[in-house]
This record gives sequence, structure tokens and C-alpha cells, in this order.
Amino acid sequence: MIHALFIINRSGGLIYHKNFSQHIVQLSSNEALIFAGTFHGIHALASKISPAPKRDTPRDTGIQTIDTKNFRMHCFQTPTGIKFIAVTDLMQTQLTGALGKMYMLYCDYALKNPFYNLEMPIRSEMFDTKLLQLVQAH
Amino acid sequence: MEKQYKTIGEDAWKNNVEKVNAELFIFTYGSLVVQLVKDYEDYAAVNKQLDKMGYNIGVRLVDDIMARTSLERCSGFTATAEVISKVGFKLFLNVAPSVASWSADGKEFSLIVDDNPLNDFCELPPKAVQDGLWYSNVLCGVIRGALEMMQMQTEVEFVRDVLRGDDTSEIRVRLLRMLDEEVPASDD
Amino acid sequence: MSATYYFAIVGTNDSPLYEAEFGVQRDESKYLNQFVVHAALDLVDDAQFMSNACYLKTVDRYNDWNVSAYVAPSNTRLMLLHEAKADEAIRLFFTDCHELYLKTLLNPFYESNSPIQSQTFDAKVNTLAKKHLL
Repeated sequence: MIHALFIINRSGGLIYHKNFSQHIVQLSSNEALIFAGTFHGIHALASKISPAPKRDTPRDTGIQTIDTKNFRMHCFQTPTGIKFIAVTDLMQTQLTGALGKMYMLYCDYALKNPFYNLEMPIRSEMFDTKLLQLVQAH
Repeated sequence: MEKQYKTIGEDAWKNNVEKVNAELFIFTYGSLVVQLVKDYEDYAAVNKQLDKMGYNIGVRLVDDIMARTSLERCSGFTATAEVISKVGFKLFLNVAPSVASWSADGKEFSLIVDDNPLNDFCELPPKAVQDGLWYSNVLCGVIRGALEMMQMQTEVEFVRDVLRGDDTSEIRVRLLRMLDEEVPASDD
Repeated sequence: MSATYYFAIVGTNDSPLYEAEFGVQRDESKYLNQFVVHAALDLVDDAQFMSNACYLKTVDRYNDWNVSAYVAPSNTRLMLLHEAKADEAIRLFFTDCHELYLKTLLNPFYESNSPIQSQTFDAKVNTLAKKHLL
């Protein structure tokens, strides 16, 4: 199950944060911001310390999952540099499909809204609802 | 490789894209341009506004392409050109302009748009031709905006347009530099 | 054949949007043409309520001249001055011209009821005249 979702913009700012389960502590907004910024930095450095890729293979895109004893963190970075980070239980090994669908929701309900400013926090009820449906269906 | 992009573009066009009536779209764009012409009374300014609007569209639309297709980051500018034509134009305008006239250093190419749907029904007044209105200039902005989100700074401009009496429409795309945003800012 | 034709498109406010002459040109009749067509507009107004069709055939006569009219649904009127009678050919000419006029209306740069200055339009009307009338 998906416990929480973070969306981080191109410059490491947190633009969306939501918890979906009771089992996870609600981070204060400050903590969430620090998490986003730190993860952004580590993600970038990780792609840098990656050993030189073989010829003709695309550059390393950075961290994809982080495992702990109790949970797993999945990161999906779009080619435009937006990161979708989901906190799940350990049963969840692959989450690319669901994160890809979240990317579509982000396109449809944030980007395509002419009043949404790029790189700014997403405040859209439609996005919330659709995201919740997606997470529950998962 | 080229073939693969074509398939991706066509698949996405068939299965993943909402369609809208072409006339509605064309007339909306037409009246928008004409209103700009009336408001600014200066064709150079209109070109600029269209480019700006396009830019704002491009920076948003590029994510739409990425979310709807299984594209990976392009291996080089050559691949980028193919994706713009076979996927980008295909998805939103259902045409696939041909890529031509590469410069020697591989940083400049042309898109030959034979059948630009925006041009339908349109005939420019002589004054607009004379003063340099590029009717579909919005497309330049879209390409520029989209590429900028993919860390490529470019210059995009129309060099020929059938509406102005040329034999075909040509958009020139020039790569200025790669922006590298991956490196995090230092902590101090 | 030394036929002469004068063709005009009249806007909803009775102002001419487009005029053209086909066939043998007669300089002395230039203003007379406009005058005759203008005078016939009243008769068009009467005739259009007698028929469901757009094409009203000959609505007026002036000396050797016949005036035929075609009323578009927008109340834009296509008028033709001609000498010989040829209802069917003229009907086809009007229908094609109407279609051409509609295409012009679709151009975002054209304002309805303003004079048509496009050279393409002019060339196409001339082709149609050659095809149907001359």
C-alpha cells in the first residue's frame, strides 16, 4: 500500500505532500520541505557518483528506491526533472506504473490548468480526488 | 530508431489523445491572431506575443508527451528532432513535418511543415506579408518552451511560410546550449 | 460571342463588396452597371420572399440587360448583369461563387461586409466565369 506521496519540482522545492494512511506520522511542513530539499540533493549526487555508463546507454537517472526495515521509498523522475516519491510498505517492489499514472494526473489537473503556475505548490481539489482514487484502487 | 518514434507517435495519437474539432481549433487560433493584430497594430509585436504564448504552452505540454508515451531521454539532438516531428507534432496537430537541412555541427535543423493545419482557410492581407507576420509563430514558442524543459536552450524561428507565398513552411531550430540543472546548489 | 457580363457582390448594408466584368469591356457602361444593379436591389428584396431558392433568376430588365440575383442566407447578394439568357449556367456560376465567398468568410483576416481585396478570390471568380459564362 502507498502510505504517502511527495512531489518535488525541478529545483528541489516541495510542491505536493499527502499522507494516505494512519500508519505514518504527519511531517510538519518544515520537515517535509527539508526532506524534499535533501532528497533532491542526494538524488542529483547519486546520479553523479554513478560509475560511467556504457556507451549509448542513457545517463543514470539517480535513486529509484530506498529500502529500510519497515518501508520502501520509490522515486520516479520525469524527463523534465519532476520527482514523484512514494512511501510504501515492503511488499511493493515495483511502483513505476502507479507513479506514471500520477504523472498523468499531474499533467491533466495541474499543468493543463492555465492558472497553475509552474514550479508552485499544487492546490487542486480535482487532483486530490483523482489521486486518492488512484491510491485506493492500487 | 526513426521508425520507433513514428510508431510511438501514432500509437499515442490513436489511443491516448483526446481529439477536438479541427475547425473549432483553427478558428480559435485565427481569431486570436487577428485580435492580437488589432490590439498591437505592429506585426513584430504580434510575432513576439505568439512566441510567448507558445512558450507557455510548450513548457506544460512537454510533460504531457512524456506522461503519455514511453519515451526516454533522447540520446542526442538528432533524436530530439525526430521526437519533435514524429511524436510532438503528431500528437497535437496530427502532422509529422520532415526534418531537413542539418548544419555541419549538428546543432541546427529545419522542420518542413508541408501541411500546417493552422493555415487552413487563412489568407494573409498584403500588409501582413510585407511587415513580416509569421502567422503560426506560436509553434516556434511551443518548441522552444518544450526543449527548455528538457534542458536545451534553443532559438526557434520561421524562415519560410506558404501563407507568405513561399513554396513550403520551414521552422529553423538552433541549439544554443545544454542547461545542466542536475547539479544541486552548494549549501553555503 | 461578344457577351458582356458584370458581376457584383453586395453586402448586407447594400454596399458593394466585390465587382468584376467579364467578356467584352464597354467603358461607357461602367457607372451604368453599378446603377442598374443598385436599382435592382429593391426588386431582389421583393423577389426573395416569393421563392425558397437562393437563386432568383432574372429579377429586372434594363434595355438589353437582364439582372439575375442570388441571395445567400446571410442576405449577401450576388448580382449578375447579362444580355443573353442562360438560367442554368448562371445558377451554376452563382453556386460556385457563393462557395468561394464562404471560403473567404472563413479567413480570420476577412471582416464580414468589408470589400474583398484578395487577388486569389479575383482570379478564381474569373476562372469560374470562363467556365460557366463565356
